[in-house]
Amino acid sequence: MPDQGPSAQSPTKGNHMEVLDLHALQQTYNEQRILLCFNGPLTRSLIEEIGKALRNYLQGENAAASAATDVFGAYIEMTQNIRHYAASKGWDDLEACATVVIARDLEGRYVVSAGNVVDAVDGTALAQQVNGLAALDKDALKTAYKMQLRKPRDEETGSGAGLGLIDMARRASQPLACVLRELPDGRAFFSLRVVI
Amino acid sequence: MTDLRIAATQATPEIHTDHAAGLLTMRGDSYPENSFELFSPLLEWVDGFLASGDAPLTVNLHLLYLNTSSVKVMMDIFDALEDAHANGREVTVHWHYDQENERVAELAEEFREDCSFPFHIIKQ
Repeated sequence: MPDQGPSAQSPTKGNHMEVLDLHALQQTYNEQRILLCFNGPLTRSLIEEIGKALRNYLQGENAAASAATDVFGAYIEMTQNIRHYAASKGWDDLEACATVVIARDLEGRYVVSAGNVVDAVDGTALAQQVNGLAALDKDALKTAYKMQLRKPRDEETGSGAGLGLIDMARRASQPLACVLRELPDGRAFFSLRVVI
Repeated sequence: MTDLRIAATQATPEIHTDHAAGLLTMRGDSYPENSFELFSPLLEWVDGFLASGDAPLTVNLHLLYLNTSSVKVMMDIFDALEDAHANGREVTVHWHYDQENERVAELAEEFREDCSFPFHIIKQ
């Protein structure tokens, strides 16, 4: 912590700055089988650097090349969707915050999850989109993908998430799942989960 | 005609064009945030090449992972090739892939489905 000055001058305030219980955090990570996680403002270069670490990790685990591509692909589409969404709202880099978690489930499958704050109305639309895709089989997803691909760039949906979401649904071994948690300020926290 | 010699970065592929030989080569991963902006010089080169003369164009691809916005750009390139082919131009795509990564072959195959010009998917 570079900012030690104020807490040294103000012991009462310093008492609030308890040492983080990293052991509890570590146990949570272990219990949830979290390989890699990130929380905070998401920049273009961070997406690339975390992506590089993810790829190295997958290589180290000897993941099959196709599984590694799918995990990486889901990670890229999710994080870039979040960046594009923030940009479409005119939010700056610091507001383009995301929580990204890559874990394994009990069956050993990779699970890529990401969450971000959205306007509640956009969140509802996104959730509808995700639930719509979750109901489609592989052939219907392929048709939807090709249709979306052919749409002119300026006719993309407001979230711009269309093609990326379908791509993730196609890479997934389970239907996409999402949770929308309403926040008091007219916004909502949108979480998306992709099981590879 | 100015040729492109763009070096690869972590998120963008190497791009080489050779108008005298009628060659376009792309190699590597492609997942930039704004693919359309980044690839507009390439789209311009392809359009320019196809609009001038009648020399054949061969596209050699060694692409690996593409994000969806890069997929969209590649579709634009293949559409331009398809139009040229419909007008009697000789165009060919060779997409090379590592047999270890079948996702690349599947990606190439989906592009090929919409193309009627010679499109070869080559296992290495």
